[in-house]
Amino acid sequence: MGELAQYLVTGVGLGCAYALTGSGLVVIYRVTRVVNFAQGSFAVLAALCVTTVLAAGLPHGVAEGLGVLLAAVVGLLVGLVATGKPGTTPQAALIVTLGLGVFAYAVEILFWGDQPRSFPGLGGAIGGVQIHYLLIIAVTAVVLGAVALLFARTDLGRALTATAADPYAARAVGIDVVRMGLFAFAVGGALGGLAGVLITPVQQVSFDSDVALVVNGFSAAILGNLTRPGLTLAGGLLLGVVSALVGGYLSTAYQSDVALVFMLVVLIARAGRRDVVEAA
Amino acid sequence: MKWAYPVAAVIALVLPAFLAPGQLTVFILLGLSAMAVVGLSLLMGYAGQVSLGQAAFTALGAYTSGLLSLHHTPPLLALAAAPVAAALAAVLVGVPVLRLRGHQLAFATLALQILLLSVLGGAEWAGGAVGLQGLPYLSVGGFELDQDLDYAYLVVAGVLLVSLIAHRLVRSRVGRGLRALATGEMAAEASGVPVGAYRLLVFAVSAAFAGLAGGIYSFFLGYLAPGSFPVLLSIEYVVMAVVGGLGSIAGALLGAALITVGVQLLTTLATQPGMPSYAPSVLSYAVYALLLIAVVLFVPKGIVPTLRRSS
Repeated sequence: MGELAQYLVTGVGLGCAYALTGSGLVVIYRVTRVVNFAQGSFAVLAALCVTTVLAAGLPHGVAEGLGVLLAAVVGLLVGLVATGKPGTTPQAALIVTLGLGVFAYAVEILFWGDQPRSFPGLGGAIGGVQIHYLLIIAVTAVVLGAVALLFARTDLGRALTATAADPYAARAVGIDVVRMGLFAFAVGGALGGLAGVLITPVQQVSFDSDVALVVNGFSAAILGNLTRPGLTLAGGLLLGVVSALVGGYLSTAYQSDVALVFMLVVLIARAGRRDVVEAA
Repeated sequence: MKWAYPVAAVIALVLPAFLAPGQLTVFILLGLSAMAVVGLSLLMGYAGQVSLGQAAFTALGAYTSGLLSLHHTPPLLALAAAPVAAALAAVLVGVPVLRLRGHQLAFATLALQILLLSVLGGAEWAGGAVGLQGLPYLSVGGFELDQDLDYAYLVVAGVLLVSLIAHRLVRSRVGRGLRALATGEMAAEASGVPVGAYRLLVFAVSAAFAGLAGGIYSFFLGYLAPGSFPVLLSIEYVVMAVVGGLGSIAGALLGAALITVGVQLLTTLATQPGMPSYAPSVLSYAVYALLLIAVVLFVPKGIVPTLRRSS
């Protein structure tokens, strides 16, 4: 397989992780209007948890599942702290999630130390591309498809969408808006955890990886203004491929800057017509 | 509360003479944080915006001073250039970026800081990841500031200067305009407040404060690296500003003092024999986090404004 094809596959693999993190942000933001700064911590916690569970002798699959489950529970807890107190504004909740992200540092260093960690993924390579990247792509496709079905086809999903569209009207028809918000946080936590579990075999994780993760996820999601799952996936894939190409043909030093520059450009370009798009 | 200012000033002037060398370093770093936090508190309190990139301006100031003094610029001039460079940079990025609001601005400022660190880390003229070393001491007319105590008083002077400028700004026509802006942008704009210009002004001023702190930092420590100004430093500034009370100068000073001293006490405790090696970082992260969360949820106005209201 040619060099270009390798970069494309790794790029799509990385992009899937960005898209998963971004989708977590989107699910939470749509339902609660809170931008969850602790989104990267879900990934780090899940990945670190998997290293421990694997070391304890549990098989692959189970270990990764437990990591994602832990991230969902942590997501629920973050939601409880950030939105549980009545009258907390989304702006205040953003700062609370920032604090929770820092609190996660304390927990992570306490249990796992401050050195980067990793665990083996799916071994082997086809034509110079690690098979693990293909696994990332396959799992992401299945999971994001399932999330889309959940939102479109189930009563729970419709209740979530209703809450996102108009919390007041949703409450009027008997939807428990607070519970929907917490459920969104749990789903967001699981998606973030999944991103961490999938990416760690090809990219070490340490306690402070969360900032890069949340920034990449936010950059992926910003294309769809944090509300459009489809555009978030597109944004993630675009960023993944472009940064893999930049890393491959230019310099790995600039690789992580791609998402940052992209985010700034999209934000500023959109701010020009802010009055139309956003009232708040 | 009127007595608090002279008391604080007297403490700040007398205390350094009695501090041990290690404590003096903490005192100086506290003062430098306070300068940056006064600026951030103005920005967050009066312009109503969250910035997660304040440490970028500290870094800009530090690198400006450091590079100039390495290239044989008179030290005092190099120090004066630090806040100017930071303010200019703020104006430059502020024009596009300050059109953003809320979480968008928070992420944009965060992205700008990470980009700046990445550029500094890759730039040979800035020493790359190793940074700048062997920076000269600050000297004024033949008198070289080579003692920690000299820098302690320099920092006290810096905090005083920054607080006075902030105080004047808040009490001026601009300050009233900014207050109107923070409570209702549309109403302020309709009453003729030049919203964009004022917001840019307060952004530039807050950057200049951080830049001045960075300049003093470069002369005090004598070396700089991109790693000296991590994202976490910006978050620490936010914690200090929020805990003390946004928009309050006294709050910014109190927040910086409370958190620096608190974390220092815990670090001392955590480095006692028998404590595990990770104890200091675990404890300080936990304190930053819990204080920030508790204050946002239960004392949303911050300590100083809440005390003022109740007294």
